[in-house]
Amino acid sequence: MNSATEAPPAAKPALARPWLDYGGVLTRWILGAIFVYMGLTKALHPEMFLKLLRQYDLTNSSLMLNSIAAGLPWFEVFCGLLLLAGIAVRGSAMLLLLMLVPFTFVVLKRALAVADIQHIALCAVRFDCGCGNGEVLICRKLVENALLILLSCWLVAGFGRRFAARFRLRLR
Amino acid sequence: MKNVLLEAVLVGAAGLALAFASNALSPRGLKLTRNYSPGNALAAAAASRSAADPSGSEAKILEDQLRAEGLQLADANQAAKLFADPKRGQDLVIFVDARDDDHYQAGHIPGAYQLDHYHPERYLATVMPACQVAQTIVVYCKGGSCEDSEQTALFLRDSAVPKHKLFVYTGGFDEWSSSHQPIELGERNSGQIPAGTAPASAPGSTR
Repeated sequence: MNSATEAPPAAKPALARPWLDYGGVLTRWILGAIFVYMGLTKALHPEMFLKLLRQYDLTNSSLMLNSIAAGLPWFEVFCGLLLLAGIAVRGSAMLLLLMLVPFTFVVLKRALAVADIQHIALCAVRFDCGCGNGEVLICRKLVENALLILLSCWLVAGFGRRFAARFRLRLR
Repeated sequence: MKNVLLEAVLVGAAGLALAFASNALSPRGLKLTRNYSPGNALAAAAASRSAADPSGSEAKILEDQLRAEGLQLADANQAAKLFADPKRGQDLVIFVDARDDDHYQAGHIPGAYQLDHYHPERYLATVMPACQVAQTIVVYCKGGSCEDSEQTALFLRDSAVPKHKLFVYTGGFDEWSSSHQPIELGERNSGQIPAGTAPASAPGSTR
């Protein structure tokens, strides 16, 4: 069979609209860079990240907390590098969603608790959420996270194929 | 979509393996099985008790927590008196700074030993002999809601340092520096005093 005459795979709608795919490439690089930076910031000071995690009361198990504080930063770096290189992009973006969505909810939950205790508006609440940027206004952080979630969805949808080393893994 | 999920599972498995390998290889890595915050349960109990008291501040919560753990508290006056105690010159009264390297180097109570309880192996050879000799050990961190002084005091207690020796200075370095007490920069006993602060007076002076 002549490969030049093969129809393109049906799962490449992004290539039909190049500007959407170029946007996807930019998204991939931005998300990748953000996650590598944020991950390294935490990975270099895991004890600080552990302290910040404790404030969320996620679990009483020190093994679980240590595992999150020790593993998550490097995991973020790994996913960020895959996005930058363009390897397993949709799967990596799906993992970013799995990290971002629950984390955004726990930040919101803590922010609401702080606003309640301190009798201040939600958007006046600021604390170090453990995101790698130090103390931040939580409203702003929530908006940033919502944006990161949207960008991850963009990649899960299959955009950003150009300049990708191996956009999807061969799973056979 | 099925392929995306499968890809995510594969990437996730590889990522987790690499993440824990990186942590194990990193000199700053955490030991997964160690409890870095042995006082947590009591902290939660103290916090819930104080939550019922609308006037309870974070510092008050910490004080309750320390008392519940049998640790003694030192306020600013006590810390200053202990700093001026002639016994400090013989290392019978010592200060232990529970903060990390960056904060310690940026300024600490003059003569204070450093013990970052997240990486105790780096400091124990110096700190433990001093703790065995000392009659009074004042542990401090940043102050306020900082729990490192408590965790370090508990670490020392669990390392066979009698708890009657251990005092936690809850005001911490923030209170110490804001009350214009002497500060030392860099290494222990470096003698470097930042411009504009009072020099460290000799132990036993009335300052």
